[in-house]
Amino acid sequence: MVLGIEYDVVQVTLLSLYVAGAATILGCLIGIPLGSLIGLKEFGGKGTLKTITYTMYGFPPVVSGLFIYYLFSRSGPFGSLGVLFTPTAMILAETLLVIPLAAGITITEVSEVDRSIKDTIRALGASRRISNLTVMREAWVGLIMAAMIGFGRCIAEVGAAYMVGGNIQGETRTLTTAIMLETRMGKFDYAIGLGLVLIAVALAVFFFMRLLQEKEHL
Amino acid sequence: MTAAVELRNATKRYGDVVAVNGVTLTVEKGEIFGILGPSGAGKSTVLRLFDLLEAPTEGSVAICGEEVSYLSKRADDVRSRIGMILQKPVALNRSVANNIAYSLQIRDWSEEDIKKRVDEELKRYGLEGRRDKNARTLSGGEMQRLSFARSTVFGPELLLLDEFSANLDPKNVALMEAQISRYMKEDGSRTVVMVTHNIFQARRMCDRIALMWDGEIIEVADRKKFFEDPDDPRTAAFVKGDIVY
Amino acid sequence: MAMIAISIAVVAAVVISAMALVVFAPKMQYLRMATTTSTQDSGLLDYILPVFENETNSKVEVIAVGSGQALEMGKRGDVDILMVHSPASEAQFVKDGYGTNRTQFMYNWFVIVGPDSDPAGTRYAKNSSDAFKRILDNGTTGNVTFVSRADNSGTHSKELTIWSALGYNKTQVAAFDSSWYKQAGQGMGSVLDMCEDMGAYTLSDDATYYSRVEAGIIPSLNITKAGDSALKNQYSIILVNSTIWTHINATLAEDFLAWITSHDGQDLIKSYERYGQQLFTPNAPAYISALSIAGCRGAVEAAVSASTRSEETILRLSNIRG
Repeated sequence: MVLGIEYDVVQVTLLSLYVAGAATILGCLIGIPLGSLIGLKEFGGKGTLKTITYTMYGFPPVVSGLFIYYLFSRSGPFGSLGVLFTPTAMILAETLLVIPLAAGITITEVSEVDRSIKDTIRALGASRRISNLTVMREAWVGLIMAAMIGFGRCIAEVGAAYMVGGNIQGETRTLTTAIMLETRMGKFDYAIGLGLVLIAVALAVFFFMRLLQEKEHL
Repeated sequence: MTAAVELRNATKRYGDVVAVNGVTLTVEKGEIFGILGPSGAGKSTVLRLFDLLEAPTEGSVAICGEEVSYLSKRADDVRSRIGMILQKPVALNRSVANNIAYSLQIRDWSEEDIKKRVDEELKRYGLEGRRDKNARTLSGGEMQRLSFARSTVFGPELLLLDEFSANLDPKNVALMEAQISRYMKEDGSRTVVMVTHNIFQARRMCDRIALMWDGEIIEVADRKKFFEDPDDPRTAAFVKGDIVY
Repeated sequence: MAMIAISIAVVAAVVISAMALVVFAPKMQYLRMATTTSTQDSGLLDYILPVFENETNSKVEVIAVGSGQALEMGKRGDVDILMVHSPASEAQFVKDGYGTNRTQFMYNWFVIVGPDSDPAGTRYAKNSSDAFKRILDNGTTGNVTFVSRADNSGTHSKELTIWSALGYNKTQVAAFDSSWYKQAGQGMGSVLDMCEDMGAYTLSDDATYYSRVEAGIIPSLNITKAGDSALKNQYSIILVNSTIWTHINATLAEDFLAWITSHDGQDLIKSYERYGQQLFTPNAPAYISALSIAGCRGAVEAAVSASTRSEETILRLSNIRG
């Protein structure tokens, strides 16, 4: 496989990173505090909310794509924003997939933080808000895990990305949609080559995140 | 003398279990108050109520004469002036120095002041060598010393100790008891409530002692009376060591 | 702490550079085109579009989906222009007011493809309908299998048209026994792969067949029937209704239509070769009439293709050409 044939593999890779990275960050920014709230607060219907969150793990990405498509189609409510068939639409569709993952993992992680740690933090004089933040920091390793899993989901996403992105060369073509294209055209070797690039990129990202997890002092 | 902390006819139920049953208890400012009794008597629950970590099912908790609910904003203020030391303390997942610093960070101390105080405490409790190690790697004795450090570094007016010496070797127990005495001497308005089932420790340290049994207070007396001439036969039996617990 | 600062810096750098590539493109016009996957996969667009883009300093954003989806996108105003090959659906689309200026501009061929051994004897069929009849007869007796796209694509529509010539409507076709009639719901490439695997027949566009042959993926499949006028695959351009969708750059869309039906555009299509042959035959009305006026050999061919002729005739004519 030679770089640069047919289209810029570097460009496609960077776009994949951009879309997956942005969606992971956005999804975690929403999902982690949400999960922390659900996990640490006592309220009626908590069990139901937890179940719903975990159920959303299985939310079909294509449905997320359809939903974003309907929202941003010219015929849809936000059509005039011209977001469809741009990377932004892809990011939005993938963010929807990350939110339940990030929330669900956070719920589990903060709940698992030892009761005595939570008591200790309160006993040391932390207010409710600071207490929740500290518990989240205690669950740091698990929260990085949530981000890793979210990123994994995004970098591998193809159905929703194709539907709302359109696989436009030079604009919305990611590694995954490119692989789909090459496979469709019968260029299996090239497709596998792109797949290897994707895995290599994902490996680099996960390696980096593992380093963050391993940090000894916070 | 204003009461430092009180339970006013407080009851605490956990489902069917009654941990604290209609208890009225007054701890005066400036004293070291002991709560003695067998395991399961409800002593720890009393401390948790004092620390506003939970609310009584019935009755109330009063701090400095004022009733405070654990949910209120006031509770956060009050709790920031109370220090609690547990039997099996747990560390936050960070360095020893940062564990101590945490108590000051949440009280908005300046970086400079924090660094100074933390250095002092590390020295005082002999933890300098462990300063940058992850606190989860500390031994039992070291952890208890850290627990003392982080719970006293911000100068709480009320110190609550829940069987702090139960898992410690004699050398460390002696160390900690010395620290408690020093702490009280530094400021006459400080109060200590100490839960223990070690009668010898109670006799060494406490000004007044309460005997707690099955969720109820059997007797409250000053040290001399408690050990030499208690009113209640159960107290007498307890201090003689006739009761198995 | 330094770790965190460095990591944030790295992430920011990557994000910004990626955005730069994507967002800060040079100022130019855009034309959003929906077309079918088989069109994109033939490589024609990669060949002809750059010429148009250079001339007009524009970028044509090609979105390749199934025919049904392309038309739906046109209805919704999500694209500016359509390049499709589903005559019946196209006519309805324009009739319903979603598009204008529907113009034929090129065609290629569908072919019936089957295993080497050709158990249904489609080789000897008179025409495509006859070939299908033979497949049907052999299928119901358990001799052969047929794989259908079954996805509302142009190819699928063509398949249904042939069945309807034999008297089977869409519902009846969908009810064919699944022991011999497999409804795949997949793209052309995948369907060909399935046929290779099962030794089955299918209807395919020629370009996808050739590309699969070139890739060496379908060694045991052959074209068993071709050239029948019923197998002609007519492409048209449709402009999405810019009165409804005012955001569309109508001028640019019209320019594209004018260009692709112009002499230059049509010649360009004709010059596209792959797998050792010309894949598409330009037949925009203006082009054909211009040629016939000029009296070129090519005009004869174009005129012939506009009427119904047999496979034999086409072979005879290509001999003339050669």
